[in-house]
Amino acid sequence: MWLETSSFSTWLREDPSIMVFPFVLILHTVGLAFLVGANVAIDTRVLGLARGVPLLSLRRYYLTMWAGFWVNAFSGVLLLIAYPTKALTNPLFYIKLFLIGGALYLARIIRGRMMAGTVAAGVRAPRHLRVLAAASLVVWAVSIFAGRFLAYTCSRLTWESSC
Amino acid sequence: MALDTLNDWLRHTLNPLYRTAIGEFMRSSRWAWPIFESLHFLGMSLVIGTIGTFDLRLLGFARAVPVRALHRLIPLGIAGFLLNISTGICFICAFPDQYLFNAAFRWKVVFIVIAGLNVLFFYTRVFRRLEAESENVAPRLAARIVGGVSLGAWVGVMSAGRLITFFRP
Repeated sequence: MWLETSSFSTWLREDPSIMVFPFVLILHTVGLAFLVGANVAIDTRVLGLARGVPLLSLRRYYLTMWAGFWVNAFSGVLLLIAYPTKALTNPLFYIKLFLIGGALYLARIIRGRMMAGTVAAGVRAPRHLRVLAAASLVVWAVSIFAGRFLAYTCSRLTWESSC
Repeated sequence: MALDTLNDWLRHTLNPLYRTAIGEFMRSSRWAWPIFESLHFLGMSLVIGTIGTFDLRLLGFARAVPVRALHRLIPLGIAGFLLNISTGICFICAFPDQYLFNAAFRWKVVFIVIAGLNVLFFYTRVFRRLEAESENVAPRLAARIVGGVSLGAWVGVMSAGRLITFFRP
């Protein structure tokens, strides 16, 4: 496969420095924590934990969420360039991307409801919003499982070697 | 030297840890390892989603959020941390030598201790005075320092944790 044999892919995969491949993994992990973490804060407020927080006041955390998302889109593309065969031959990889798409879609809807500004301090969020928040938490959790299981369900590590 | 004494003591714990039922289970089960790893990542997201969210507020981010009300998220973060201590112990029992003599793992422990001492400082020195403050004001220097140290320590914990596999002894 042309991508895998490119010098950039080979460098990402084989450079022994911890500033290369391990650093990309660190970015992907820390990015995940902030991406999912922002959703944890917003969704658990919707579900009724920390009800004294006006929902609208949490909108700034969409900034850290998107920062985490872009760090992971970037580091994720690098991981894909390093091991394209490993990801693209695993059906779970496509499921993971689909789940992340679904979670982002839910975050978008929840953000829209938040912007209405009706869930003030001490106010219980309406039922449909609580259902969305619970769904959001579940989809993020399943995405994390899908991502972690990628390492254990691959069939080919590279074009020429199996996992 | 103190480190030699520690290493000596740790060497004696290797076999008993390895022979525990949970260690045996983690090594023999096909799916226990990835499931526990996923739970470990989930716990991490809970810690950053609650403690990290609170730290950012201490730093002055999202000032419209009332600090005291936001603090109610913290128990969920503690739950996430305990989940990770539990799953972490399972990993250690499976292959104790891979962790206890691993430079990255030791750094991870150092960062956890820093985060812990910071929590202690926060609740003894900063929290009570913070409660009296209203929202929308710039946080005091002490609050900013606590928030910054906490956030830095947790990023350190995650980074060192991710490096463990590259520092196998």
